[in-house]
Amino acid sequence: MKDRRISYFRQKGDAYIMGTSIGLVLSLLMVAFIMGVILVKGLGFFWPSNLLFVKLEDGKAYLGEVTDREEKTVIDASGTSRRLKEVQLKIGNRDLYGLDFIWIPLDAVVKQTYPRMAITIERLEYGNFYGFPQRLHAITETWLAEESGFIRRLQQWHDRAVENRKRIAKLEKRLNRLLEPLSHLEREISLLEISPQAQTPEGQARLQALEEEIARMEARISDRYEALNRQLEKLHQENAQLILTVQTADGAEKAIPLEKIVRFYFPNQMNLFQKSALYASKLWEFVSANPRESNTEGGIFPAIFGTVLMVLIMSIAVVPFGVMAAIYLSEYARQGPVVRLIRLSINNLAGVPSIVFGIFGLSFFIYMIGGTIDQLFFSSKLPEPTFGTGGILWASLTLALLTLPVVVVATEEGILAVPQANKEAALALGATRWQMIRKIVLPNAMPGILTGLILAISRGAGEVAPLMITGVVKLAPSLPLDTTFPFLHLDRKFMHLGFHIYDVGFQSPNVEAAKPMVYTTALLLILLVVVLNMIAIRMRNNLRKKYKMAAF
Amino acid sequence: MEHELIMGETMVEVKKTENDVQLQFESPKTDFDSILEGEHIVIETIDLNFYYSPESHALKNINIKIPEKKVTAFIGPSGCGKSTLLRTFNRMNDLIPGAYLTGKVIIEGQDIYRDNIRLEELRKKVGMVFQKSNPFPMSIWENVAFGPKVNGITDKTLLDEIVESALKQADLWKEVKDRLHQSALDLSGGQQQRLCIARTLANKPDIILMDEPASALDPISTGKIEETIEELKQNYTIVIVTHNMQQAARISDYTAFMMLGELIEFDKTKVIFTNPKVKLTEDYITGRFG
Repeated sequence: MKDRRISYFRQKGDAYIMGTSIGLVLSLLMVAFIMGVILVKGLGFFWPSNLLFVKLEDGKAYLGEVTDREEKTVIDASGTSRRLKEVQLKIGNRDLYGLDFIWIPLDAVVKQTYPRMAITIERLEYGNFYGFPQRLHAITETWLAEESGFIRRLQQWHDRAVENRKRIAKLEKRLNRLLEPLSHLEREISLLEISPQAQTPEGQARLQALEEEIARMEARISDRYEALNRQLEKLHQENAQLILTVQTADGAEKAIPLEKIVRFYFPNQMNLFQKSALYASKLWEFVSANPRESNTEGGIFPAIFGTVLMVLIMSIAVVPFGVMAAIYLSEYARQGPVVRLIRLSINNLAGVPSIVFGIFGLSFFIYMIGGTIDQLFFSSKLPEPTFGTGGILWASLTLALLTLPVVVVATEEGILAVPQANKEAALALGATRWQMIRKIVLPNAMPGILTGLILAISRGAGEVAPLMITGVVKLAPSLPLDTTFPFLHLDRKFMHLGFHIYDVGFQSPNVEAAKPMVYTTALLLILLVVVLNMIAIRMRNNLRKKYKMAAF
Repeated sequence: MEHELIMGETMVEVKKTENDVQLQFESPKTDFDSILEGEHIVIETIDLNFYYSPESHALKNINIKIPEKKVTAFIGPSGCGKSTLLRTFNRMNDLIPGAYLTGKVIIEGQDIYRDNIRLEELRKKVGMVFQKSNPFPMSIWENVAFGPKVNGITDKTLLDEIVESALKQADLWKEVKDRLHQSALDLSGGQQQRLCIARTLANKPDIILMDEPASALDPISTGKIEETIEELKQNYTIVIVTHNMQQAARISDYTAFMMLGELIEFDKTKVIFTNPKVKLTEDYITGRFG
């Protein structure tokens, strides 16, 4: 009989070892690729590119930033194929052209230049404007672009207009505050008028009293109201007289009020250093300012803020519950089929689609708990809901539920890793079971708990689906944390980076223009998760140093 | 615990019944009254049976008396139930799911298995040192102060005094007095075990149970532990489980020999090691099996 043996090659398993390394390389490559794409496309967005002026055979002229180049094969009428080079220009001027981008075949171009006076104007509305400045009109004076010192003057008056704009915003806020009690009274009157109470004599008397109060209040604030209005009027008038006239590539003139300009620059005149400085300031605006133009421009600060706050509230909610559940499961519950079943269910909970959690959050947190809270504490505002609608609290709690299994499992593993000998020693010293858990088990399991938190943050920060029905909005009017009492407004809706990506990338009216924004937002979301995780990892490492017996 | 016995020469007939392994001979009735004449009894067990599960009968009808302020050693082959017996004295076996016992354990006149006993009080009174040193991952000071703290002492100066006196009794004070607030895990193995003894002493127990306290240590550290035990027996009742027969002979006053969950012989250490009444004991201590 032949002695059959496996070959030495198979014994050593070289093929399998190679397989593992290929697996690792492939995963790393994919991660590196996606990170590379996001980094390049995301960070390139803010670079002030030079403005290219092209003139075509048919007399048309365009000015804009080169955003893409392409080479393709076309077959013309005679059936011969040829290579065609095209360049994509971002020509902006949405209010004039309707389109932000245009593909230009290089064959048709008769002239390409980078004109020195080409200006990029970032506007509050309609996106960028590319063109050539003609003249500046400021109140009574007018300067032509050819005059020396034109750019300096433009800068000065632009600063003035921006200053005025800020003052107007402040005055309007004050005006609103002044009128707030008045609108409250009016609301009360209108509610009273439609209620059956209005028919009774008491109701009539109450109405009368309210009307009188309104009249008194109006008389009291009328002076200040007038004064504010006069100031506002003056500022508006001044800003209406600050106008920059620009000419597009094809010669059309356009008057742009200075107050509508966010910033302007002449990229073709700038050196690398100036561009870098501008780049930094644009990057800063991105992370610190509010969004404009249905989120396709401006900053994403509210989304960053909302994401961070949501993750924090989620962590505060999920860690205690997860840890308590894990302690009970591993320390108090009688180990047996029931506990095994519970453990299995918790593990499986992690596999439930997140939208299911969202729907649960909507029905349980928002409709049941939120609705009850409204009826008990905010009944005066009904039917307008306070907590009975999506908000940051409910979204965070929904995510806490979603990430609970991760925390429970990691904490249980941490608890199991605490040496039995230490637990016995504590009990043998007369500690109660609870004292043992608090003084020996919990501190030793802390690294495990933090591992759970890290995983929960990673999972929770990137979740979008459940948030869409529990409180995330495209544009939140105010942050959930501000200086008015009670400072943390858990009932408010909020913005979120993940949802922002979805909204800007797929729901915005101008997807092409918004594309870079999607990359940058994705980059920021990843960075945010990395930063949050690094904080938790640092905490864990410190703890590990302290309890070096822990088996992590 | 497995009922597995390796015997060189077949000195004993081991009969396997359905679930149980039983020695096929009756151990002679130990006359505790004459052996322990003049001693005050602190621990007494009456018909103690312990089961890890209904199939696993680990202690069989143990009747033993342990005198005060003496060192009593439990010897016997692995799996004979000596650690199990030790752990019934401070109810550490309660932690094992499914385990139960019948009979009584009476410590200082109290049945410790009655319903309304406070385990924490019992374990404070009956301290325990384990086989493997198991200091908490905390500072030396916190390790020693752990027991008093969980038992309600919060006064810092009082705790300081307790820590110092406990460390002195465990013969560790000189070595660690300058680094009380460093991690206990930086100590050597022998020091860690003496720290565990100090930790037990800090509770001011009456009885100290030692479960092979020196089995994981080198000879020098073992010697130090034995010295410590010598000193401690003036003030404490010590029950020690050991595998090392020389150690039992050196430090104990009384010795109990156990096998397969039964108490075979109990006598003064001198008698056990020089003139045992039971053949089995003699075979064991002369190394014919074990």
